[in-house]
Amino acid sequence: MAGSGQIRQLKRRIRSVQSTQKITRAMEMIAASRILKAQARVRAARPYAEQIHDVIKGLAVSNEVRAHPLLQVRDLERVAVIVNTSDRGLAGAYNANVLKVADRTIREEESAGRNVDLYVVGKKGAGYYAYRGRRPTRIWQGISDTPVIEDAAAVAEVVMDRFSNADIDRVWLVYTDFKSALTQSPVRMELLPVKPEEFGGGREISPDFMYEPSQGELLDRLIPRYVEAKMLHGLLESAASEHANRQRAMKAATDNAKEVAANLSRIMNQARQDQITSEISEIVGGAEALNE
Amino acid sequence: MSDATMPVEVVSAERHVLSGEITEIYARAVEGEIGILPGHQPALIALDIGPVRMRMSDGSLQQVAVHHGVLFVGDDGKVIVLADIAEPASDIDVARAERRKRIIEERLAHTTDPALRRSLRKQQLRVELGED
Repeated sequence: MAGSGQIRQLKRRIRSVQSTQKITRAMEMIAASRILKAQARVRAARPYAEQIHDVIKGLAVSNEVRAHPLLQVRDLERVAVIVNTSDRGLAGAYNANVLKVADRTIREEESAGRNVDLYVVGKKGAGYYAYRGRRPTRIWQGISDTPVIEDAAAVAEVVMDRFSNADIDRVWLVYTDFKSALTQSPVRMELLPVKPEEFGGGREISPDFMYEPSQGELLDRLIPRYVEAKMLHGLLESAASEHANRQRAMKAATDNAKEVAANLSRIMNQARQDQITSEISEIVGGAEALNE
Repeated sequence: MSDATMPVEVVSAERHVLSGEITEIYARAVEGEIGILPGHQPALIALDIGPVRMRMSDGSLQQVAVHHGVLFVGDDGKVIVLADIAEPASDIDVARAERRKRIIEERLAHTTDPALRRSLRKQQLRVELGED
């Protein structure tokens, strides 16, 4: 028999679900506005990356870029993997997906007999590896949400230094590519060594060019900037993907909350009707007993 | 000469900073101050931490704080500044730069870290340009 106690309990649950729904709705809308901002930042960073690439290609026509320390191809003994994850959760399968690609990369490298150094961006990735007993060489927190060039340069500098010292022989960058608002897919990119083919096909710079300092020194300065631009690209794409995943996850949560609240109020209404019915039959029954 | 202009584009690693027509541009290169007027020979010049000053075709002065990068003069006469970091003077938060400058100066009293010295120069440049 449905009592008023049950109705009160249901009312309380509906209120709690509805307030959760308000929170998830707010998070959904925040994420949605941040996707647009993050996408705009991906686009804004493109001209620099393209132009620095063009300048290096131009210089590479008449200069040997292969000698640069960041282009050295060595026997692979130690490999670095940089994984871009988020600091905050509630982003659906965002972190799980990118970590899957990272794990596959680590497995492949290790089964080929290479040592793997792990570099992790984001609290979630750090927690994941801490739980599995793998100690990252370096962890960066607080940069994945809105990455700036200083962050990209800081990460890139660590691996470029170690690569130049021949401590590591290859660097993988694992991040999430923002294909569209609907699809984001985890990808990996070989950040180092930089391949000489990347600088091929440049238009020859006319011979009356003036260089300050020399062409070789300019190349030495520009190639690390190129690597940093790639790192920034990975961070920015990941940030946009994180927001897109969070928006989707929060939309699903909001929809689910709506459904749960609707079901609960249906049960509550039924309970209320049952209560009224039984009250009426009690009154009718009582009145009939008096008439007899 | 005075009527001649050249297109300029200032791009930082994060965004497109400004573009327009200018009559002259001055910058601090690694090997000293440089000035470029329309008709300059093609060039590729590495930039230090310093101000890039541009005289726009309408006569106004644009100043951008540039922290390393390169200045490219194409054979078509177009000037491209590819900066690691570039901030238009109008965007600089002077109070914040002053604050950070003081913090760095205090820390520099105890050490001589070259990276810290570079950060100090960046803050000094911000303060200098922002106050103009």
